[in-house]
Amino acid sequence: MNDRQALLNRISVARFAAWELHIYLDTHPNDKQAMRNFEKYQKTADELTVQYEAKYGPLISSDVYGDTSWQWINAPWPWECGEVCD
Amino acid sequence: MFMYEKRLQYPVKIKTPNPKLAKAIITQYGGPHGELGASLRYLSQRFSMPYPEVKAVLTDVGTEELGHLEMVGTIVYQLTRNLTPEQIKAAGFDDYFVDHTTGIYPVAASGESFSANTFSVTGDPLADLHEDLAADATTVKEQPLFSKA
Repeated sequence: MNDRQALLNRISVARFAAWELHIYLDTHPNDKQAMRNFEKYQKTADELTVQYEAKYGPLISSDVYGDTSWQWINAPWPWECGEVCD
Repeated sequence: MFMYEKRLQYPVKIKTPNPKLAKAIITQYGGPHGELGASLRYLSQRFSMPYPEVKAVLTDVGTEELGHLEMVGTIVYQLTRNLTPEQIKAAGFDDYFVDHTTGIYPVAASGESFSANTFSVTGDPLADLHEDLAADATTVKEQPLFSKA
């Protein structure tokens, strides 16, 4: 696993934890402990996303920038094997 | 509104293509108990749902199912890389291949195209929630079968 994939995996772990808490909170909207945990994982994922995007280009469509060229079209797309499958 | 995040919910990296397995797994893309039907079911049922908790759950779970759809499509895409004509025939993948080559099209394992007839939206909150429970049970039953395919 290269550095890009390792960082992407850390983002996915934090986003998954935040998302599971998000869905739990839909039916337990007054659980303060769960809300604190949600904020913790969300903050971690957001910080890691800022790091990732600075190095490897936009991960979220609203974070797309184009100074010299439009970065959004660059590989890898999520379904592509890239350097890892073969 | 939906926004795209350029990653899979869980990474997919398939080293060994396997068109026979792809033919089974694609039913989780466009089959009667697949992720496309799941997503459309929840995202359509939410409009007539009167309870705030359930509106939120249907919105969020329906959205997550689109992420699952993307992972299943990726699995099928990677399972059908670099195939020879002999591999396509030997795997029984030729029926699919003649219409779609290695494009990802929503069909059931039987070859039937995706149909909205595979789910229900009644406008009745209890009927819809019971339909959701039945649908979820089919997923719990079906997905472990792929480890044996």
